[in-house]
Amino acid sequence: MSADTLHFVVGEEKKVRELLLDADVIPLLKGALAAGASCARVTGDDGEELWGACAPAGRGELIRTLPLLLEGEPVAHLELFGAPEGRERLEPLASLLIVALDTVLRNSLKRVLTTEIHTSVVNSSHEELVAMNAELTKSEARYRELAENLELRVKERTAELRRTQAHLLQQERMAAVGQLAAGVAHEINNPLGFITSNLHTLQKYVARFCAMLQFYREHLELEQPRERLVAEAETKWRELKLPHVMADVGDLMAQSLAGAERVSRIVADLKGFSHVDESGDSVVDLNQELERTLTLLSHQLAGRAEIVKELQPLPEIKCQGQLPGQIFLNLIQNALTHAGASPRITLSSCFDGERIRISIADNGPGIPSALRGQIFDPFFTTLPVGSGTGMGLAVVWEAVLKLQGTVAVADAPGGGADFIITIPAGRN
Amino acid sequence: MIEFDEKERRMVLKLVYYGPALSGKTTNLLQLHDLLTRQGRGELMVLDTSGDRTIYFDLLPFFLTAPSGLKIKVKVYTVPGQVCHDATRKAVLQRADGVVFVADSNRAEAGSNVTSFDNLERNLSLVGLDIDSIPLVIQFNKRDLPAAVPEEEIRTTWDPTGIPVVLASALNGVGVSETFAVLAGLVYDRIDARFALAATHGLTRERFIAQLTSLKEEP
Ligand SMILES: Nc1nc2c(ncn2[C@@H]2O[C@H](COP(=O)(O)OP(=O)(O)O)[C@@H](O)[C@H]2O)c(=O)[nH]1
Ligand SMILES: [Mg+2]
Repeated sequence: MSADTLHFVVGEEKKVRELLLDADVIPLLKGALAAGASCARVTGDDGEELWGACAPAGRGELIRTLPLLLEGEPVAHLELFGAPEGRERLEPLASLLIVALDTVLRNSLKRVLTTEIHTSVVNSSHEELVAMNAELTKSEARYRELAENLELRVKERTAELRRTQAHLLQQERMAAVGQLAAGVAHEINNPLGFITSNLHTLQKYVARFCAMLQFYREHLELEQPRERLVAEAETKWRELKLPHVMADVGDLMAQSLAGAERVSRIVADLKGFSHVDESGDSVVDLNQELERTLTLLSHQLAGRAEIVKELQPLPEIKCQGQLPGQIFLNLIQNALTHAGASPRITLSSCFDGERIRISIADNGPGIPSALRGQIFDPFFTTLPVGSGTGMGLAVVWEAVLKLQGTVAVADAPGGGADFIITIPAGRN
Repeated sequence: MIEFDEKERRMVLKLVYYGPALSGKTTNLLQLHDLLTRQGRGELMVLDTSGDRTIYFDLLPFFLTAPSGLKIKVKVYTVPGQVCHDATRKAVLQRADGVVFVADSNRAEAGSNVTSFDNLERNLSLVGLDIDSIPLVIQFNKRDLPAAVPEEEIRTTWDPTGIPVVLASALNGVGVSETFAVLAGLVYDRIDARFALAATHGLTRERFIAQLTSLKEEP
């Protein structure tokens, strides 16, 4: 049974396509073009092109073919083309290129192996203790004392794992909130910026109004002829550019007021999203929570992602107020991270009389069915090691669980991942 | 066995050098790499992170082709000996086709040898392998040490078990290819029984061992 708990066998054969990314290879091939080759390509062992970069002028002549080795076996070939006159320069270039490719491939293999080992170690160390304990309990008579000890250790270890996990979940929640805060800070800073600059301008305008009033006060005392006063006042009026100031002042005030309103709306949204003012359970409309999350993310979304909403009326549910926001925030941020250059996120909701069903679908590469069992596990991530703690979906899982619901992932129509949350409702 | 693809006519075997920390497993692979001809072996990959202790494992691949065209790749691994890397050891042991247990002849290390061998026994059964039938060779390494346990003592302990013992001084290249050859023979017998290497693929025991252990010609 313990054999099943190890998901990974050291030594399984890897394909060159699994190990090298376009981002690893293409720049190297392009570098060869820049260095004078007319075409550089890497072909698989069946001769098919895996990567290639060619100058528009055409391929030229094949200068060199060199094998690319993986664990000592040729798995691909580098082909370098160019003008025959350049052969003397291009041959060393080919050797240099194969060394570079070889280094990238080797490092990538090491990285993959190390990561896989890490994963299996994390997965197995707890299971290992449990399995050991089970085994020992079987031969209880002989090992009773030891087994008791182990049980204690398993308990301690389980508690410790739970603590670490809880801690990491908390960190991830903080990370999501941190990102959100950065976005919101920007949203607030913007109107605040022009309100401040408007106030500065208004300060100057007020000084001019005062100067004008001062002028009248002084000149009225002089008891000059009326025509003269009017003429001098007109000159002063123009000197102070008051016609322009009067025209501008209304705009400035209106703009500033609108900005201040925007700030207070954002703060209200933030309060609503975080449910800071509420203690215990609150009654929420999940559509409204979705909209709030979108509003708060508007800075990250604007001009970058297309949002499609297909929301149907939902019954209200009673729950810890911040949970829905946590779920939506993580799923939408997850979709943004994985959906590539022009993300389209489709949010839909419906109610079938018993359950609320919310779906958050993206147009990214989707989640292979082999990984679907793991993505909600703590620590799981498809991003390179070090770029995330891999806890985002675990946060979602935990929050959905607290709503007594379920979350699953399916294929979105036309590719992409579709996260489907189902929550019981309607029983008051 | 890691892989057997009848259509592609390809077989991938896994051999593992097991034993306590610092008994000389990596040194064995380094020496195999240096002693054996270039043809038929790949490069040694050492996955270490610090100092001389193997944190993860080392890998040295070998290649041979049977007269039938069956391609055989033999991946030879070492495991980290440190007690704390048990999970890594199990992952490396999984689906192994043969094991060399590298024991340290230094008398002071007798305890570590026993602990590590017990650990091998337990981990084999945890990954579903049978210690009584898996090809297994014991290498007593560091015979050059003055504090080495005498050969007689080793024989008294191990001969009754029927497990072949090879004496070695890996650092000096002594007994390294011999150990590997003994294991190769045992592995051949096991694979031949299941995949008819001789009958179907025309690959004899002698040829299998010779191809895996052909020494470099002296220059
Ligand atoms: N005296 C002696 N030292 C050896 C021998 N083989 C290995 N060593 C030394 O033992 C230490 C550990 O070797 P290494 O191969 O890294 O051990 P591993 O942890 O089992 O991989 C190194 O300092 C080696 O030089 C040997 O045959 N004789
Ligand atoms: Mg080592």
